[in-house]
Parts: sequence; structure tokens; C-alpha cells
Amino acid sequence: MKTIFTVIKKELTDTLRDRKTLISAILLPALAMPLIILGVTKLQKNLMDKEQNKQLKVALIGAPENIVSQFNDSTFLVVDDVVLAGVNDSIENGSIDALLEFDTNFNEKISTLSSGGLKLYYKSTNLLVEKRIREKLDNYTAIIMNDRIKKLNISSETLEPLSISKIDIASPKEQIGKLIGGFIPYIFIILCFTGCMYPALDLITGEKERGTLETLLTVPASRFKILIGKTITIALVGIAAAIMAIAGMFLSLKFIDDIPQDFLNVINDLLGLKFILMLFAMLIPLSIFFAGLLSAIVVRASSFKEAQSYVTPLSFVIIIPAMIALMPGVELTWQTAWIPILNIALATKEIIAGTIQSSQYLVVVGSLILLAIMAVFFSLKQFSKETMVLK
Amino acid sequence: MINVENITKEYALTKKQRKELQTNSTSVAAVNNVSFMCEPGRVFSLLGPNGAGKTSLLRMISTILTPSSGDIKVDGVSVIDNPQEVRRRIGFLTGSTNLYDRLTPGEIVKYFADLHGMERSVFNERKENLFEQLNINEFSKKRIGQLSTGMKQKVSIARSMIHDPSVVIFDEPTSGLDVITANSIIELIKQCKKEGKTVIFSSHIMSEVDLLCDDLAIIAKGNLIYNDTMDAYRKQSEGKSLTEAFINIVNQNN
Repeated sequence: MKTIFTVIKKELTDTLRDRKTLISAILLPALAMPLIILGVTKLQKNLMDKEQNKQLKVALIGAPENIVSQFNDSTFLVVDDVVLAGVNDSIENGSIDALLEFDTNFNEKISTLSSGGLKLYYKSTNLLVEKRIREKLDNYTAIIMNDRIKKLNISSETLEPLSISKIDIASPKEQIGKLIGGFIPYIFIILCFTGCMYPALDLITGEKERGTLETLLTVPASRFKILIGKTITIALVGIAAAIMAIAGMFLSLKFIDDIPQDFLNVINDLLGLKFILMLFAMLIPLSIFFAGLLSAIVVRASSFKEAQSYVTPLSFVIIIPAMIALMPGVELTWQTAWIPILNIALATKEIIAGTIQSSQYLVVVGSLILLAIMAVFFSLKQFSKETMVLK
Repeated sequence: MINVENITKEYALTKKQRKELQTNSTSVAAVNNVSFMCEPGRVFSLLGPNGAGKTSLLRMISTILTPSSGDIKVDGVSVIDNPQEVRRRIGFLTGSTNLYDRLTPGEIVKYFADLHGMERSVFNERKENLFEQLNINEFSKKRIGQLSTGMKQKVSIARSMIHDPSVVIFDEPTSGLDVITANSIIELIKQCKKEGKTVIFSSHIMSEVDLLCDDLAIIAKGNLIYNDTMDAYRKQSEGKSLTEAFINIVNQNN
């Protein structure tokens, strides 16, 4: 044990003095989430506000007067001199945002209680154009509907055979858990992996490349203990990266101005001891699994550059199951509980929603521990081969 | 004492290597049935052209590599049966300093002392002596990355000698070093000899061999082709330079 502690102490000192590791494992995860969440939310809000308040230029061809009047406000400008033949160019060059072409018999159809036809020309990549025009047309539809109800002397209920009252039995925690629960593990799994990546490259391939590993193998400590010390250090940096990512995420959520109170309450509820302990019980074996796997792979490389070329494709392999967990309908089952990465992502989703079954959670933790042991054993096998540890 | 007994080291060849070497053999012998003995208080030099097997042999003595057959006994302890005990008795030094750039000399020496399981009081006394002797105190708090090659080599020496090994292995210890730094290594080898340690070193520099060695062995293509005392070697060279004598021996056995 003393040897393992000696190795961990030295490796941690060495690693924490390395600016690249500090940036990739501590600073980047801590800042990434606030920057993504706060930055994207603010940017999205600004863009939406801008699009919502922008004056839309609309051309109306053959429009009845009571539709033209719908567009008589400061948020719309009705453009007159547009010909139908040049509609595409007009939209492309921005002289108009949309064109409404009404059928020649539109008024006749409306007055005979039929459907009046019209075509809407627009560019779907221009945000909110269709939505804002639809709102105007919906207003017109409501007026016509009222007229028809009066003319036909029927109740509005005649046209609405179903009256649905929705009673959602899912708690706000469950709703939010299902909505964003997949995103949280996606982020911390990836940042935990990248957090392990740099120290693995430095402590294994870096030592091999610099020749310090050869010197280290001349001390009376077993290779197993040296490797365990290195693996624990790599895993600790991975855990630190994941913690920084989660802390950054929760902190940034608290600082979003117009976040609903329900959402904030769920976030506050989540940050209890139970959630943290449950998360750690998965995070520790996950990090050891990453550390073992990375050590086993990078020990094969004779240079930092070569090791990076081995590790980069692996990060895609890690991302795929984490992304699958984001898909709707993918749930934690007895089968998915055994699939590495996917299981931790799905379990975190269930923990946040408060719907995790303890038996399934134990299977997830058990399978992660098993995987971590296998990864360390695999790395030890590689580390024991003399051709692997020498340049 | 080092007793090398019929040692062989074979490396497995990959398909690509077999193609490059144009051979059907699945392995190649880097060291082939080599035997010699290094005695305490004497300096043993291992000579040979590049790729002769010197580094493989030194790595086997220091237990980094395991022999394919044969055995090596360091102070009577087998590298195969008890490699850990062998490692307690050896110090290993190469020309490339092999240190951790982000640690200080004090931290590196302490790390290796801890891995050797040294008692704190013994370590403190030994470190004090070594640091004073090698003039490390003046830069002991600076990180290795900030030190000159000469300073690094002094730290490397302290790291290799901190546990007071009875056997010291030097693998081309002066290669690539400036004259002053190389001289500090030569002085260290002389001191090790004076202290009665067993010293084995590999080198390409014949002047160093002439200056330091009591015994020498020459290996070529993994085979031991010469093993005698330095006096016998000088006599055999018959007025030729030591380098010429070395080339003659290697060529005769080619």
C-alpha cells in the first residue's frame, strides 16, 4: 500500500503542476458548461427576440381586404410591387420575407362556407417567418369561424367534438429528469474521459518516451503497484473533471435569469447527499474503467503523437452510447443496465427523474465495477510485457 | 558481485520484422549464451558495436528484461527468482538523464528513496551527503525543467545512488554530455570502485575504458567475443591503440 501511495503522491504532484492537464481536466470542464448553457441560452434568446420583433416584409397577391388588415401593424410591412414570377429571387435577396398568393375564387369559397386556397412562399431557414404569418392567418380563421357559427346557428362545441383536459401525473422532477436527464451524463461521461486522457498519455506514454519509466522499473516495487498508483491518479483526475463539469452545469443553471421556478426547485432537490452518493458510486468505477482502458492502449505507443492517434478514435466509441441515451424511448432495463456507458447515462437520467429502481441501479454499479476490474487487469497484462514498457 | 551465467535473450519477430530481416525465424537472439563475472571493487566495461546486445544485457542485469535462458546473480541473488531483491542492490544510470521535469531534485530523490523503502533518518543523512558532494543544494528547490544538462545529470546520479547500492550499472553514462558533466560521472565511477562497489558500464569511448576499467568484455551480434582483464587487453594490443585492437577483435569474429 505504501508504494501505491508514494506513486499516487508523486504522480498527483507532477500532474497538478502540468498546465495542459489543469486546463483539460479542471478549467475546461468547469468553464465549458457555464459557457455552453449561459452562452447558448442568451444567444438563442437574443436571436428569437430579434426574429420576433423584426419587421417582416410580406407580399399579398389577391388577398381579401380583411386579410390585408391583419397585417396592418408595425411588425409587418405589406410590399406591393412584387410579381409572382420573381418570388424566389425576391425572398432570396431579402426584398420580401414571404408571399401569400390567394386563389382567384378565394372570396367565393369563403362566402359559400368552403375552404379558400392560398399558397405561402417562404424560406424555412428564416426563423419564425412561417409561425408569425400563421398567427395572422389563424386570427383571420377565427373571425371566419365565428361568422360561420353565427350563420349556421350552431354552438362552437359542434365543431369541437372532443374536449380534452390533460392531467399529467408526472411530477415536475420526473418531467425535467426525462427532458434534460440524458444531457447531464452525456456531458460528465465525455469530460471524465477527456479528463483521464491527458494524464494517461503523460503518465504512461510520456514516461516511456522520456525514458523515466525504464528508470522507474529498476526500483524494488512491483509493476502492479506502480501501475495501480498511476491508474488511481488518472482516475482521480477524471473524477475531478466530471465533478467540475457537474458543478459548472448546476451553477450556470442557477444563474439563468428566466429559468422556471419548478426547474430551479428540481435542481435544488437534486443536489442532496443521496444524489451525490449515487452519482459517485457510478463515477468512481467509470473513471477507473477509463483509466485502465486508456493505460492499456497508450502503453502500446512509443510516442505521445502515436498515443493520441490511438485514443482519438476511442473517444468516438465513448460518445456513441452516451448519445444513444439522449434518444427518446431509450430506457434503463435489465438489458441496457449491462451496456457500458449507456447504463450510467440511463441510470443518471432515472436518478434525476426519481424513477430509478434500486435493483437496476445495483446492476449498473456492479457492471461498472466489473468493467473497471477487467480494464485494470487488461492494462496490467499490457504493462507486464517488456516490449510494451520499453522504447 | 555480478555473475552472468549462460544468458540468452531472444525477441519475437513480427511478420513485418521477418520481412525486413529476410528471415523465416520467429525470433532473434539479442544476447546469445553469454557468461562473465564482475567483482566488487573492480570496474567492468562492456564494449561492442551498436546493436551488439550491450543494452539488453544491462537491462537483464537490472531486471527490466527477463532472460530467455540462463541466469544472472547479483550478490548471489537470482534475477529470475528474486528480481525485487536484486533491484534493492542495484543503481542504474544512463547518459540520458531520465528525470521528471515538473519535480524538484529533492522531490525526485525522495520519490526514489521511498520506492526503495528507505527509513527517513537514513534517507536524510544520505541525501545531505550526496547533495553536498554533488553541489545540488544550490538548485535543489528549482524544477528539473529549469536546470542545465549538467545539473540534471548530478540529480540523476543522486537518484541512482540514494539507496547506496552495492552494484552500479552505467549504460553509456557519458554519451551526449559535455566534458565537465562527463567528468563528474567518471569521478563517480572511481568513487564507487573505491567504496568497494561492483561497477559495470558500457561505453564507446575507449579513453574512458582505458582510464577506469579493470576488466572488460566485448560482445558482437549478441555473442561474447572477448573477456579478460584490462592489463591483458593492453598487452594483446601490441602497441596498437585500444580502438584499433577493439576493431581487430570485432572484425576477426565477424
